[in-house]
Amino acid sequence: MILAGVVTTLLGFVLAVLSLAITPSAGGRLAIVLAGLALSLTGIMGVLNRAYLKNAIWRK
Amino acid sequence: MKKLIFTTMLAASLGLAQGTMSQPAGTPAAITANDVKNVEIPKPAARLSGDPDGSLTGNASDIVVSDPKKGLTIGDALNQIGQNRIALDFMWTLVTGFLVMFMQAGFAVVETGLCRAKNANHTMMMNFMVYGAGMLAYWLIGFAIQMGGAGGVANLGGTAPLNAEWTFNLFGKPFGLFGHHAMFLTQGGGYDVGVMVLFLFQMVFMDTALTIVTGSAAERWKFAAFLVSSFIMGAITYPLFANWAWGGGWLANLGANFGLGKGYVDFAGSGVVHAVGGLTALAVAMIVGPRIGKYTREGRPNAIVGHDIVLVLTGCFILAFGWFGFNPGSTLGASGNGNLRIGAIAVNTMLAGMAGGFGAMFYMWLRYGKPDASMSGNGLLAGLVAITAPCAFVNSICAVIIGLVAGVLVCLSVEFVDRKLKVDDPVGAISVHGANGLWGVISVGLFADGKSNFGGSWNGVNGSVRGLFYGDAGQLVAQLIGVATLVGLVFTFSFCVNWIVDKVIGQRVSAKSELEGLDLPEMGQLGYPEFELKARPVAAE
Repeated sequence: MILAGVVTTLLGFVLAVLSLAITPSAGGRLAIVLAGLALSLTGIMGVLNRAYLKNAIWRK
Repeated sequence: MKKLIFTTMLAASLGLAQGTMSQPAGTPAAITANDVKNVEIPKPAARLSGDPDGSLTGNASDIVVSDPKKGLTIGDALNQIGQNRIALDFMWTLVTGFLVMFMQAGFAVVETGLCRAKNANHTMMMNFMVYGAGMLAYWLIGFAIQMGGAGGVANLGGTAPLNAEWTFNLFGKPFGLFGHHAMFLTQGGGYDVGVMVLFLFQMVFMDTALTIVTGSAAERWKFAAFLVSSFIMGAITYPLFANWAWGGGWLANLGANFGLGKGYVDFAGSGVVHAVGGLTALAVAMIVGPRIGKYTREGRPNAIVGHDIVLVLTGCFILAFGWFGFNPGSTLGASGNGNLRIGAIAVNTMLAGMAGGFGAMFYMWLRYGKPDASMSGNGLLAGLVAITAPCAFVNSICAVIIGLVAGVLVCLSVEFVDRKLKVDDPVGAISVHGANGLWGVISVGLFADGKSNFGGSWNGVNGSVRGLFYGDAGQLVAQLIGVATLVGLVFTFSFCVNWIVDKVIGQRVSAKSELEGLDLPEMGQLGYPEFELKARPVAAE
């Protein structure tokens, strides 16, 4: 689960950088970068943090 | 033309522009070697009775001559003018750097005040030793990674030895990754007066980023783990991103290589310093986990209040004072190259801080019925964090808007982190520095008005920085790529480093130590030995 979160977060960054090669238009790059950012945030908040919450100290 | 300007400056500095010349006003006169020889200087005897109005002190006789036999020459005078400019820039950068260094004291008392009394020694000690741990790491290798390939910094006289950047090609363009000159301030020509000034200024910035993390992990972070984590952050994590943004790396060149505005623009470090610190704080806080008693078994948050609001607000004032070094000092000079912008930068800084304080205070007042003191302080800091990147490129109205948004954003973010993410951040560092650092980076891409002019270009692209609202959508894209790098790469790197530290050393203290308070188990001494500390049940929200 932690590994999945790390990979997802990193993929968001990779997508944002790829926007530089995918299209020269500012609008196109903007959309791709935002998608990459959303992917990274999902990785942090939706996957990685959830993995830690499963074993959180207050659940014990 | 250059000669004309030089001669005019020379005439003005030697006091020849008026009185001794008969040229019509506005017509500069060329100065000859003869003029220089015949400059009137006060007789030494005139100084014997003192100089109460200062009219005799500081004149042509104070110019250092290269050959006493020849006396004063035009070359001597020009060299003196050049050195005066660099000296002014050195003084400016050093003094503002000293102000930034003092921010460590501000962070220390803010964080200690927001923690419980039983952890006062431990929290202060983390803030104290992060200064040394970070500095050691940065001196050894961090500075070389960050600035070793930055190229010449004209304001500091060139810094010529910083010319080694490791790059690779991607999409047909060079991507600078890290520098490798000036390790230990010796290797690769690092023993240089300009490099020393740059090191001092960049070092205190780096330490600001490191001390952000101690707040989010306070009251349960093992001291040994803190030292190792901080060392790695000062040696690698921070310098890498700082290289990409400030050291001639790939983010700074998004404009030159891909036509995205002026490349990633982060004047004083909303992203480089605060978002790097805030996102690392998030990674560490997730790994360390919440304090005992912070959440109920159902996951409802409890408010664990700090022990001294006086310390908190005093610390906020210290930080606001230090920010006058942080932002205006980031010009790295006070003379030439558009550096007189320092006045606007200082005013934007104070306005955004004020707006942030008001934004948070009114938000809390409207939502909870009271103007919360600690959140008002955090609002001030949020406004300052947010204006750090755009301070040199926006007008005062936009500075207030940026600060106001930051003040509200910090409150919303604290609630989100606390209630939705269930990440325990005792001082709100993730929200103040992480969320608002990112907001500051984005705000450059929105509000930069194209009025600043630092030598006619930025990041090697001609023209002034303009955001989306002033006609350059590409700038916003460059800023967002910076944000995506911070969130996607810097966070991931910090997380992996601290995950390894957790597995090797263990990041969290024992439950027994945590309940007792970390002062005795971790530091061997109480912060307040003469006080009787009584446990008080935490209040459920």
